This record gives sequence, C-alpha cells and structure tokens, in this order.
Amino acid sequence: MLLEIDYHSGVPIYRQVIRQIRQQIMTDGLKEGDQLETVRELAARLKVNPMTISKAYSFLEAEGLVERRRGVGLFAAKVKKGHLDQIKAKLLDNIVNKAAITAIQLGVSQDEAVEFFKKHYNEYNAKNRRQK
Amino acid sequence: MKNGNPIVQMRSVSKRFGEIQALDNIDLDIQRGEIIGLLGANGSGKSTLLRHIIGLYLADEGRCLTFDTDAAELTPKELGRIGYVHQEGELLEWMKVEQLIRYVSAYYKTWNHQLEEKYIADFDISLTDRVGLLSPGQRQKVAILLAIGFEPELLILDEPASALDPIARGQFLDLLLGIIQDENHTIIISSHILSDVEKVVDHTLIMRKGAILRDCSFDSLREEFIRFTLSSLNGPLPAELPFANTVSCEKSGGRAIITVQNDTQEMLEAKARELNCEIEFRPLSLEEIYKIVVSRE
Repeated sequence: MLLEIDYHSGVPIYRQVIRQIRQQIMTDGLKEGDQLETVRELAARLKVNPMTISKAYSFLEAEGLVERRRGVGLFAAKVKKGHLDQIKAKLLDNIVNKAAITAIQLGVSQDEAVEFFKKHYNEYNAKNRRQK
Repeated sequence: MKNGNPIVQMRSVSKRFGEIQALDNIDLDIQRGEIIGLLGANGSGKSTLLRHIIGLYLADEGRCLTFDTDAAELTPKELGRIGYVHQEGELLEWMKVEQLIRYVSAYYKTWNHQLEEKYIADFDISLTDRVGLLSPGQRQKVAILLAIGFEPELLILDEPASALDPIARGQFLDLLLGIIQDENHTIIISSHILSDVEKVVDHTLIMRKGAILRDCSFDSLREEFIRFTLSSLNGPLPAELPFANTVSCEKSGGRAIITVQNDTQEMLEAKARELNCEIEFRPLSLEEIYKIVVSRE
C-alpha cells in the first residue's frame, strides 16, 4: 500500500489514511480480498501513532470498504453495487462541483464546459484503451 | 488498546507558590499508550504539573496517583518506570559522558544497550567530553539518552527539544515514534514549539494560568475549528451570513474568510450552495488552533 502522509497539512492523519485507502479500493489499486497491512506494520512504516491507524481502519470498516477476519486481519471487502455507486458519485461530485463553480466564475458557458470535460475524458480514455 | 487504570490520575489538584496559583483544581487522567502534547505559554503551569506526577512537588490540595501510588509515596520501584527530561536538568558535571552513561545505566536492569549504541551513533554524541563542558544541545541529547535508555513506561519530557537544532529535533521525534510503537509506553511532551509536537501527539492538553483549558484527542481538536473562504458567484454576500458559532469573519464584497467552531464540512458546503457561493477549506495549523483556544476562554 503506497500512502503519502503530509504531517503539516493540518488534515488529521487518520483522514489522510482513510481517503487514500478508499481511493485505492475504488480504483482497484486494492482488489477485493487483498489483505491490508496490519496496524503495527503500517504505523511503523508511516511513523505515526498506532492508534491513528487503528482509528482509520475502523472508519473504513464502518464504511464497508474493508472487512475484518478474526485472527487473520483486514481485507478489502466486496462492496455492493448500490453502495459502490454511492461512493463513486460522492467522490466525483466534489470534483465536478469545483469545476462547475470555476466555469461559472470565469463566465464559461455550460456547453463549453461540457466540451472541456469531454475533451479531457476522451484524451485519457483513448490512452487507456491503447495500453490495454 | 486502553487497558487497566489510567497511568496518572489527578483529582482536584491545586498548588500555590506564594501569591501565584500555579495549579488550579486540576482533574486529569493519562491513559496508557498515548503521546500527549502539553501546550501552554510560559508560566501556565506545564512544568509544575509534570513535577506533581513524579512527586517532585506535592499538591496543597487534591491527590495525584501515579501507577496507582500516591505521588508523595513513590518508591524506586515506580520511579524506575519513569523517565524524566527537564529544562535545567542537573547532570554530574565532572564525569565524562561515557562515565555518566555507565553510572546511570547501572541502576537499571532494563537498560537497553542496543538502543544506547544506536542513539550515540545517530545523535553524534562524543563519549570522551566532560559533561560540564557540553554545549546546551549536546547536553540535552545526553539527558534524553539517560531518560530513555531504560525504556521507561512513562516518559516525561519537559521542553526536551528546545536546545536541539532542526535536524536533531526531527531525529528526536522519529525516536519518540519508535518508542510509542510499543503500546506499553506513554509519553508526555511539553513544548511551545508547536510544529514539533504536531507530528507525534495523539492527545492534547492546553493549559493557561494553572488550569487545563482543553483535554481532548488531537484529531478532535483539529476538527473543532474549520476555516474557509466563501466566494459569491453573483454580487456581494448578504449582510447576515447563516453560520453559527463563528469565531472570526472578515468580509469584503463577494468574499469572506470565516472560522467556525463545531461544524462539519458537509454542513458548510450545503450552506454555501444555498448562498450560491464557492467554498474552499483551509486546515488550521496547531499554532492557529492553539491561539484560538487560548484567546476564547
């Protein structure tokens, strides 16, 4: 699990951990059934307090993104379709919201803004297809 | 992770030095396995509080239990589980550094020689120098080694990093994080260099005039106050903004910079949407949070 923590950003470390692991699960960086590092391993590696990690893990567990197998550890969970869509919508919502506001502030019309979005979307999508 | 009784329990502890109320009715529990940041201005009572924990000062009123023992009656058995570094620490000036380390380590069965060697190498300690002639920074490094070498369950650090240069401070904080990976260790660190403690603490105590203003987890302190910028998408902002618990608000035309207490980003976003405003959050540093807390109460 590749995580980067900014100790001075002012964002609580457990939130940074949650956000990055959630992102990895949603984008298949962590696949269903993949085991997460133990609290101790991750805390030692990131040089943070173990309680911070265990707090982050319990939030992810409550969110249904990871599941605890007794005596074994934590694993990326199978997330139900409806729930998955909900999380995706929320992640996307934050970013698109920002883009929409910036477009309005700059006086860019809706059509132009949509074209912008399509252009970027297609650019990356095409690259991805070529690689596969 | 929190097992057993708190490692320190203070109940209605008060202490006066002449006219000065150094501690004012302190109630405090310190749990095992925490790293506690003790914050406060000079003279707010931080050192006095720490000294009560190890029985160096005795309370005028109230009670302080350390390891379930009255702090006035701590025996070498309990004291041998506590490491203490303080500002004007007295060391045996006439010894050489190596002699001093051997002398102190002889008192502890639990002395960790591996840790000692690693520390001496990492912190560039010169063993042949006379203790009395060390620079303040070197001296502080030696004092820290003597306090952590026996791997105490409770480590009390009173302004431990004040004389260290930035690189040594960074190493020192990493060292603390190494110690805390074992849940049996508890560290209390007082500091007014807030950016230092920010990285390592998980619990905060804020003191002012001998009283404790805040005793809470560092994360909840972090999330108690939110600062954001509001930018209107059409025209000026309304005269009355719908935010409760506003700590500060600067407004100019279509923009405002606001700090609120006890609100969530989600709630604030919803309100911004109603106002047809862009909202941008900026996390506060511990220093800014500290100033808000101290100025408000």
